[in-house]
Amino acid sequence: MELDTDVPMEDVEDLKQAETGSGPDASPHNNTKKSDLNPSTVGQLDEWIDKLSKCEPLSETDVKKLCDMAIDVLQFEENVQPVQVPVTICGDVHGQFHDLIELFKIGGPCPDTNYLFMGDYVDRGYYSVETVSYLVCMKVRYPNRITILRGNHESRQITQVYGFYDECLRKYGSATVWKLFTDLFDYFPITALVDNKVFCLHGGLSPMIETIDQVRELNRIQEVPHEGPMCDLLWSDPDDRGGWGISPRGAGFTFGQDISEQFNHTNDLSLIARAHQLVMEGFSWSHQESVVTIFSAPNYCYRCGNQAAIMEVDEQHNRQFLQYDPSVRPGEPTVTRKTPDYFL
Amino acid sequence: MLSGKEKQDKLIRATDLDALSCRLSTNASSYFSPPDVYIPNLVESYQSYLQYCVGYSSISAGRVLRSSFSRKLPLINKGTYLRTKSIDLIVEKFVEEFKTCQIISLGGGSDTRCFRILDKYRDGVTYHEIDFPESVKVKKLAIVNSDVLSNIVNFKAERVNVSSREEFQELTPSLHTDKYHLSCLDLRHISIDSNEREQVLEGIDSKIPTLVLSECVLCYMAPKENEQVLKFWKNFCKHFIAFVIYEPMSLNDSFGNTMTKNLLERGLNLLTFNHFPNLLARKEFLADECSFSRIRLTDMSNIAGYGTSNLFNPWIEPEELRRVSQLEIMDEIEEIKLLLEHYCICYSEFSENNAKTFNGIDNWSWIMAVDK
Repeated sequence: MELDTDVPMEDVEDLKQAETGSGPDASPHNNTKKSDLNPSTVGQLDEWIDKLSKCEPLSETDVKKLCDMAIDVLQFEENVQPVQVPVTICGDVHGQFHDLIELFKIGGPCPDTNYLFMGDYVDRGYYSVETVSYLVCMKVRYPNRITILRGNHESRQITQVYGFYDECLRKYGSATVWKLFTDLFDYFPITALVDNKVFCLHGGLSPMIETIDQVRELNRIQEVPHEGPMCDLLWSDPDDRGGWGISPRGAGFTFGQDISEQFNHTNDLSLIARAHQLVMEGFSWSHQESVVTIFSAPNYCYRCGNQAAIMEVDEQHNRQFLQYDPSVRPGEPTVTRKTPDYFL
Repeated sequence: MLSGKEKQDKLIRATDLDALSCRLSTNASSYFSPPDVYIPNLVESYQSYLQYCVGYSSISAGRVLRSSFSRKLPLINKGTYLRTKSIDLIVEKFVEEFKTCQIISLGGGSDTRCFRILDKYRDGVTYHEIDFPESVKVKKLAIVNSDVLSNIVNFKAERVNVSSREEFQELTPSLHTDKYHLSCLDLRHISIDSNEREQVLEGIDSKIPTLVLSECVLCYMAPKENEQVLKFWKNFCKHFIAFVIYEPMSLNDSFGNTMTKNLLERGLNLLTFNHFPNLLARKEFLADECSFSRIRLTDMSNIAGYGTSNLFNPWIEPEELRRVSQLEIMDEIEEIKLLLEHYCICYSEFSENNAKTFNGIDNWSWIMAVDK
């Protein structure tokens, strides 16, 4: 069975990576922890993944266990997490669980396909809890097959405005699960580098960051700050106007083609892949193909009518976009679902 | 049991709760400056009397109110602010230009603009509100049971006590003072001669400049009924009449299709949404079908500076826009732009022999303008 062969492979790869070392992270602690993925842990994770695939949330106790395991994996990842090709790069999901399952149907199941998610798993959609639990489970289960970056919504402040906090209260009766996850979010890597050529992050560039090495020097294990380089990486947007501009979002900046081209040149990159913005076709090029926006929540907020997309990058660095529409949800009680607000 | 049509009408009336809950949330987030102190009176009135309205029980009314009066997302707050503010701007300018004039609000339900205007302009303005009988009763009870509101509209009689369905049904819906008229009429029947219509018209002075406001009301009526409503008022107030219409439009795109589907799920059928899908279609309707002499149109995204045109000046002053943008984190830039693009403000006017015009209307940028 594929699954069985994958387990030892995963372990071998994990050990290799720990041995070859990722700087100070390659501690004995790391080794011990990673080898914790013993058959019973695997069994536990598979059980959780099974449950979550049916869109059933985990118990609070299990979320606690899961987050502890995830911290042990994520804290050793880098600010600029290296990722190998082939990989499928995905944008915002925003609690649209059924569309995430559709994404895995379109892109192929994990771990057969490697995935890189660029943040915004929670808020807006009705299943943030199930969505983030599922992705974190997959991360712990297949740490080298899936990378999950931090988006601007993986934050304590934003989730209190945009739904994840309320959803946790509704589904668990207390804020414990919200606290566990938002504490975990602090450990998520903030950018990834695919084969040294494609720089992936949620938002965009920062006037305080000229080189990728400067990203490596940041202390990322904290709440998303209101300003500064880490904030910008999660909040900024490309713009038709050149140079740096004030962002209408109130955080991050807008950056023009000159900025993107300079950054790609300085860092020997072929592309910046980012998410963060709703684009009606699911993906959108800007700055003469030096930046691509990928958005993976179809019919965003059940209101926008947009398509979603993911981007496959193969061994030869060929890129292919796969677009998809909202999943048909036979199991979902559409009747009880509140219609999104309009001005009436 | 309610008939299909009664059910549909109940759902249309319930959209007033949506509008009120949006105003409540927007006000709570400090968008309105000064704050709208009248909203709580209207909310309380619904909390007391919705249970007596057709198709509600005390349990279902409680459920509807709880689910309606929830906190709204920043984009809904901001959109509500823009809608309220931009129409306020037009109304105030109109009153200041004409001094003695009347405002006729169609289907305004629990809107509080009448109180703001009558409080700000103590002389010269008469305010008329016309809606379904039940919506009118809820508003009337809010007014007569509040000293502040009674005082603003110059209502002097005693408070009214309603504590049962029967008392609510027996309540006379209308309320008339020297400066404020609240009347009930199903606008779909406006071209039919009736007692109700006569009562509405009694208080209206066809010889003074008139501004008719319609916010998300005509959209629930068939295109033919739209034409009848506009023409009726145009013929009645020939001296000088202007219309401000705020409506959604489909733009024939996927956002519009999704909106149609979502609202149908709630039982709401937007009859003009696809029939007048964009500003051009609305312009043709107002110019060709209704023969208005002066027409101005814009979508809502430009009003707040979300539009792409550099020639268009936002309606709201930069300082005020800055204040508002700092109230909440706004991580919905693309979405609010999309939503606002699907709403329009249409101004049109008519005056016999072109005797009068509202000069102030060109105080703001418009995407389309027609002068005949």
